Amino acid sequence: MEITLTHYLVLAGLVFITGMVGFVVRRNALVMMMCIELMLCATNIVFAAFARLHGDGGGHVFVLMNFAVAASEAAIGLAILVEIYRRRRTVNVDDLKTLME
Amino acid sequence: MEGLLFWFCGGMLLLGGVMMVLQRSAVVSAVWLVFAFISAAGIFAVLGGPFLAVMQVLVYAGAIMVLFLFVIMMLQGPVLEGERRLMPAGLWPLVAVPPVAVLVLIIGYLRSDATVAFAASPPAGFGTVESVAGLLLGRYLLAFELISIVLLVALIGALALGRGERKLPWK
Repeated sequence: MEITLTHYLVLAGLVFITGMVGFVVRRNALVMMMCIELMLCATNIVFAAFARLHGDGGGHVFVLMNFAVAASEAAIGLAILVEIYRRRRTVNVDDLKTLME
Repeated sequence: MEGLLFWFCGGMLLLGGVMMVLQRSAVVSAVWLVFAFISAAGIFAVLGGPFLAVMQVLVYAGAIMVLFLFVIMMLQGPVLEGERRLMPAGLWPLVAVPPVAVLVLIIGYLRSDATVAFAASPPAGFGTVESVAGLLLGRYLLAFELISIVLLVALIGALALGRGERKLPWK
């Protein structure tokens, strides 16, 4: 069976759904950030698949941009999490609703 | 051969993602995510992007996940115990709506026979370090410079956040 663009798009869609459900279901802020990384990875697959379809390397360049964005997001997000942990002694998002109360 | 690699790497990627969501311990989740990212590198390799595959392993599975594991090990206690409780039961139908909608779309798309086939082989030099570097420093030079500013801002921001209670130099 020939592998077409559709296969890659469906795979990326399924990976994105996994990340999205995980982000909503998990209560640990660290694991929620890992789910964001998984969603970014799904978009990277779409970029690479369309680059292959059009035979144009621009998609690869933007996957590299996405790597840089993911790295920045992880660095800032984890720094914020460490700061939250220092003050509140928890990273469970259910315990972090001061603004809501 | 391409089909075999696609099914293998795609299956491993999905398995890694699902197991990451299902595991209760953050450390085990992180290890499954590394597994998923390495499988994604295989997908990039199948798609004709050897440079992307290498960068996926280096940046994602290497740098970013090591950062995650360091933070998990710094925050001992509640993180390692896993989660005490899941979300309220009443929210489950709401969570299920977007995935079901996307699955219906995917199935509808697959049934419409609207598959788009790739060209038999990518153009010469596609996805090599040379061609990506040529684009990065040529057509996409502005985006390249902007992303370097994003990285610089993230670096400064992480440093400022990580200083903790101590005074910042400009205060």
